[in-house]
Amino acid sequence: MKILQLAGIGLAILLTGCASTGPRLHEMETTIPTLSAEQGRVYFYRSSSFVGAAVQPSIRLDGAEVGKSQPGGFFYVDAKSGNHEAATATEVENKLTFVLDKGEVKYVRTKVTMGLMVGHVTPELVSPEEAKKEMVDLHYNGVPASK
Amino acid sequence: MLWLAATMLLLAGCAVSHTPTELTPLAITEHTKQQTLTNQLTFELGTGYSRTLKAGSQWISIGRVPQGEVYKPYKDVFTLEGANVHEAYLVVDTGRLIGFYLPVERGYSPLKQALPLPLQTQEPQN
Repeated sequence: MKILQLAGIGLAILLTGCASTGPRLHEMETTIPTLSAEQGRVYFYRSSSFVGAAVQPSIRLDGAEVGKSQPGGFFYVDAKSGNHEAATATEVENKLTFVLDKGEVKYVRTKVTMGLMVGHVTPELVSPEEAKKEMVDLHYNGVPASK
Repeated sequence: MLWLAATMLLLAGCAVSHTPTELTPLAITEHTKQQTLTNQLTFELGTGYSRTLKAGSQWISIGRVPQGEVYKPYKDVFTLEGANVHEAYLVVDTGRLIGFYLPVERGYSPLKQALPLPLQTQEPQN
């Protein structure tokens, strides 16, 4: 019984360590800077889930690392208008291509899918309406950066 | 080793096939009319994934490719998914959805079988 309790505590610590811990979106929304007229903004987020929680690859935008895919976390990147490629890699690389217009805000959700040895993390575009609902309680896990 | 490659391919899905095409853009103004899809439409992509266009979803004509008229989702997003995910717009010819325009790749990806696309014109909204 004691072993089970210890295992439970260990698992809880492990999973807590995997999750994002920054302020929630609704707590910091007013501090997010206004988007400049020449740029667009991309929010990256991942819903809270224990499934594949330990799989936390970097997220790259046009080849440059901009943050990490962590369960329950979000961050944003301001980027020039035009064509962009977001990518994550575990045992395979998964890419998303999209267009960003001036002043436009796009939302990219990373989701864990089944892999052979390790889960795959796939970036996908999400509608603003759906993303805003899903992001409200997520924790900020990035440092704002301009591309 | 072969089974490993086959499994990886299966898990990753097939790539979205497309050929180069050229978009002739249309000026989008506040007077641009939106088109509303009157019925839900679900179809299979050639990659093993499927897509559903919701009834009531709104679309704006943004130009033409040689294959047909190009419609972009209004305040929404649409993607094709295979080994990777690509933002995509609808390509419509004589009221039928015939394929997709990939704006980043500047490519045309045909639908295996064209489908009737019931779009209804709406007055502009801001």
